[in-house]
Amino acid sequence: MTTPVLEVTGLYRFFGGLPAVRDVSMRIPAGERRLLLGPNGAGKTTFFNLIAGDFPPSQGEIRIFGQNVTRKSANQRTHLGMARTYQIITLFSKNTLLHNVVISLVGLREIRFNPWSDLRRQTPLWDEARATLALVGLEHLADRTVAETSYGERRRLEIAMALAQKPKLLLLDEPLAGLSADERQDVQRLLQSIPRDVTIVMIEHDMDVALAFADVITVMQHGQVVVEGSRADVVADPRTREVYLGH
Amino acid sequence: MRAPSFNLLSWLIAIAALLALPWLVTSDYYVNIASQVVIAAILALSLNLLIGFGGMISLGHAAYLGVAAYLSIYLTAHAGFGHLAGALIAIGATTVLAMLFGYLALRASGLGFLMITLALGQILWGVAYRWASLTGGDNGLGGLKRPHPFGLNLMDPAIFYYFALAFFGIALWCIARFVQSALGQSLQGTRDQPRRMRALGYNVWLIQWLSFVFAGFWGSVAGLLYAYYHQFVSPQTLHLTTSAETLLMVIAGGTGTLLGPVVGAALVVILKNVVSAYITRWLILLGVIFVVIVLFMPEGLVPGITRWVRSLRSRPRADKAADTPSIAKDSAR
Ligand SMILES: Nc1ncnc2c1ncn2[C@@H]1O[C@H](COP(=O)(O)OP(=O)(O)OP(=O)(O)O)[C@@H](O)[C@H]1O
Ligand SMILES: [Mg+2]
Repeated sequence: MTTPVLEVTGLYRFFGGLPAVRDVSMRIPAGERRLLLGPNGAGKTTFFNLIAGDFPPSQGEIRIFGQNVTRKSANQRTHLGMARTYQIITLFSKNTLLHNVVISLVGLREIRFNPWSDLRRQTPLWDEARATLALVGLEHLADRTVAETSYGERRRLEIAMALAQKPKLLLLDEPLAGLSADERQDVQRLLQSIPRDVTIVMIEHDMDVALAFADVITVMQHGQVVVEGSRADVVADPRTREVYLGH
Repeated sequence: MRAPSFNLLSWLIAIAALLALPWLVTSDYYVNIASQVVIAAILALSLNLLIGFGGMISLGHAAYLGVAAYLSIYLTAHAGFGHLAGALIAIGATTVLAMLFGYLALRASGLGFLMITLALGQILWGVAYRWASLTGGDNGLGGLKRPHPFGLNLMDPAIFYYFALAFFGIALWCIARFVQSALGQSLQGTRDQPRRMRALGYNVWLIQWLSFVFAGFWGSVAGLLYAYYHQFVSPQTLHLTTSAETLLMVIAGGTGTLLGPVVGAALVVILKNVVSAYITRWLILLGVIFVVIVLFMPEGLVPGITRWVRSLRSRPRADKAADTPSIAKDSAR
C-alpha cells in the first residue's frame, strides 16, 4: 500500500479547555479530492491550521507524504509540498496582485535569502507569476493593488498564490465563500482543472459544489468526525442529515 | 507616477548639493553639523530597517552606536590597537552583540520586543556607568585621535565630512539594495502578514533576525564615525534618550521610506545644535514640532510632503481623481 499524502492520528486541539478538534484521525491517499463538511464552529479551520502548522496539536500526530511533521514549523511543512488558502483572506493588500504571487514563488526558492539582487529584475519569476494569474483569470489585473480589487478577485488571488507553489497537497478553506454565481462557476472550473496528482482537501458549505467535486466526504461536528465515506454513503447517512442538512 | 528622469535629476541635485556643502556653508561650525547629520542619518537608516521595513519597534538602537564607540575608543586609545584593527574589532564585536540581542528580543513581538530592546539598552547603559575602570564611568572615555586613512587629515572638518559622507553613501546604497532584494521584500512581507509568510515557506524568525543583525551592523558603523567625530563617548550615548531620539528621527522623517530617516536626522540634529544655542528649552520645541508632524503628516515628513506636492500638482485636473475604480473595502485580516 502506498503511503497516504496526509495521515492524521488522534488529533486534539484545546482552546482554553474547550476542544476545537477532538480525536480526529484521517487518511488521505494521493490524488484524492476530500471534502470537509460541517456546521460553523465544527473545527474545520482549526483542523487545517493544525495540518499547516500554525500551532501545534494538544495531542496526536500529523504525517505529510509519510513524514511526521507534528513538531515541524509551518514553513518547513510548506517546503515539503503543501500549500493552503485562508478562509479569511490574508493578502499583501498594498502590493500588486503580481507582487503577491511573486512573494509566493520566492518563498520556496533559495533567492529568498538574497539581500542584494533587485527582486524586480528577476524576470523569470515575474513571468511565472503572470502566467499563474492568467490561470485564475486575473492577468488583466496583475498591476492593480489588492486594495483595488473585488472580493471575488481576492479569493482567486488566494488560490493563485497557493497554485504558484505547485503543491502536491492543497488545502482550500471555503474557496467559494462569498462569490457570485458566475464567479463560483469560474473557480469551480479552475479547481476541476487542477491535475490529478495534486491531492486536495477542501472545506465547503455549498452541498452541490461539494458533491460535484469530492471523492470522499468527511462530516465534522463539535470537533469530531461524525461520518466519513463516499458521496453516496455520506448523503444517505441519517447522521449527515442530522448534523449538516438539518442545521 | 513620476517620470524617472525627474527622479534621476533630483538625485543628481541632491548628490551635488551634499558634495558642495562645505563650500556652500563656509563656516566650520556648519560643516561639523553636517557631519553629525550624516552620522545620525546612518543610525536612523539602520533603525528604520527594523521599524519601517520590519515593523519591529526598537527602543534600544543606541546600543550599537554606543558599544561600537566605546570599543573603538577603548581599543585604539587605551589598549594599544591600531586604528584599522580597532575599527574592525569594534564593528565585528558590536555586530555579534546585535546577533545576541536580536536572538533575545525576537523571542517576543510588538510591545514585548520593544520592552526587551529597551531593557537590553538600559543594561548596557548601566554597565557603561558602573564599570568605571574600563569605561571611565560618568566621566566617559576619551583620548581617541582621528585616524589618517590614505593620508587624509580627518581633523579638517571638510575632510571629515567627506569621510563620513562616503560611509553614508555606502550605507544608503547597501540599505536601498537590501530593501529591494528578495530578503528585504520578505522582511516587508513578515511585517504585513507574518502568518501568511510562514505558510508560504518563509522562516519569519530568521528573516527578522538577519535584518536585526544587518541593522545592528550599520548602527555600529555609525558608532565608529561617532567616536571619530566626538573623540569621546559617555554613558549618555548609550542612554534611552539616544534611542528615543533616533526613533523620533525615523518617525518624523517617515518610516518605511529610504529618505525619511535622513530628513528626520537632519531635522533633529540641526534643531539640537542650532536652535539650542538660542533657546535653552530646545527639547520643548522639538516636542512641539514632532506633535505638529504627527498631527498633519502622520506618515512622516517625506511621504507627507510627497503626497502634498502630488495633490497640488493634480489639483487643476481634479476631475481625474474620480476615475479610480471604486475601492472595495479591505476585508478583515
Ligand atoms: N485561535 C483560536 N483561539 C480560540 N478559539 C478558537 C481559535 N480558533 C478557533 N477557535 C474556536 O474553535 C472552534 C472551531 O472553530 P473553527 O474556526 O475551526 O470552525 P470552522 O469549522 O472552521 O467554522 P466555520 O464554518 O465558521 O469556518 C470555535 O468554537 C472557535 O471559536
Ligand atoms: Mg472555518
